Amino acid sequence: MTVRLPTRRGDWRLMGRTIRLVLGYPVYAAFATLAGLVGLSVFVLSQNVTLVSDVVVGGSLPLSNRVAVLVGLYPFLGTSFSVEAGLATLVVAALLGVDLALVAYHVREHGLSLESGGGSAVGAFLGMLGAGCAACGPAVLVGLLSLVGAAGLLTLLPFEGLELTALAAVALVLSIFWIADGMRGGMIRGCPVEPPR
Amino acid sequence: MTREHLLSDMTTTRGDRAALTRRTMLAGTGAVTVSALAGCLGGTGGGGTGDGSGAGGDSTTTAPETNEETQTLDNHPAAAGLADQPYRGPDPFEAEATIIAFEDPSCPRCRAFEESTVPQIMEELVATGTASFVFRGYPVIYPWGKPATQALESTFARDAEAHWALAGHYFAEQTSFDESNVLDRTREFLAGETDVDADGVVADAEAKAHDAEVQSDLEAGMAAGAGRTTPNVFLFKEGEYRTQAAGSVSFSVIQNALGL
Repeated sequence: MTVRLPTRRGDWRLMGRTIRLVLGYPVYAAFATLAGLVGLSVFVLSQNVTLVSDVVVGGSLPLSNRVAVLVGLYPFLGTSFSVEAGLATLVVAALLGVDLALVAYHVREHGLSLESGGGSAVGAFLGMLGAGCAACGPAVLVGLLSLVGAAGLLTLLPFEGLELTALAAVALVLSIFWIADGMRGGMIRGCPVEPPR
Repeated sequence: MTREHLLSDMTTTRGDRAALTRRTMLAGTGAVTVSALAGCLGGTGGGGTGDGSGAGGDSTTTAPETNEETQTLDNHPAAAGLADQPYRGPDPFEAEATIIAFEDPSCPRCRAFEESTVPQIMEELVATGTASFVFRGYPVIYPWGKPATQALESTFARDAEAHWALAGHYFAEQTSFDESNVLDRTREFLAGETDVDADGVVADAEAKAHDAEVQSDLEAGMAAGAGRTTPNVFLFKEGEYRTQAAGSVSFSVIQNALGL
């Protein structure tokens, strides 16, 4: 089996139609929203585990202080993210929510076949991992490049870590495509997944 | 290795695609993303290598262990050598709150922190005598941050005010610096804007005359768990350690975390 990539306009229409049909179910729309919010929280809070643990979860500060610290860590509500990194993080979180909703639908309605469903689920999982780096910036790149003894190469990456965000987004888009591709020929809410020609 | 080579290692070329199975591609993506996630989650806790002129310390460092002993300005790793560090506001050991910031002049998020958060800290906490703000040079991001930090220490040894002016200059003009021009531009700035011996500072920076101070900051940051994340801010209230915040956190986060 070769890798199918969304190279044709019809592939993107298939993805869009599948997303629209699946999220047309209120329960899957709610699930996508929840999954996106959870994903966003994981991405954001994982960068300041100590702060959250000491001040938001533990410590003796009043509730208002805890809430202010927590809210201040999110993109556009605080200053931890640049505009670009903040937008990228929100996009990846949204993609993650959509992806997981599609995975949930696929598992529930079609089961997981080893060939396609399994690949989609693995894609979503890896995409979720990759999305965790959406806003980590240079520090993570240094860490990654240090693994191969090339920390100095950071200077060759011009976008200060947004490259990793792009990688996560690509993984999630591919995952969404493969799930949609796996449902090609099927029906969702009485409508054919394959866009009418 | 060129940028193209590097990027090609992170992506899949068109020619390879047909031969890859879906699972192979997922596995490849996974290797990078899992590593990336590990980097994210470890962002404040470890990592770091040194070459003697900049980033120092072990390649694996850990955050300070939690124990029965209360962590204070006297025993917390981030406050090691605190009496010798440049600070604004009241004496760090006397202030109601003490903010110790590990920053790299070359780090874009440190520039954002200096532009969006530090002015509010200065205006609302330092100027009012509530908090002391301590700067510790922590060159772990781009290479030019290392000679810049050497120059900052050499300047501080001569004149504390000139040190703050030079640090501000590095952040304000950050995008115009690189390894080849940082010391020349440092000389130019110090000669034009301060009273310190600019040639002496640059000569000391080149000779790493104050490398012990640079290494002291690096060791303190690594031991405290700053890892390779800058800015990394350690917050103390009435002498006791409260928490650590990584990244360009807002003034509100710092103020509320300190309960001020």
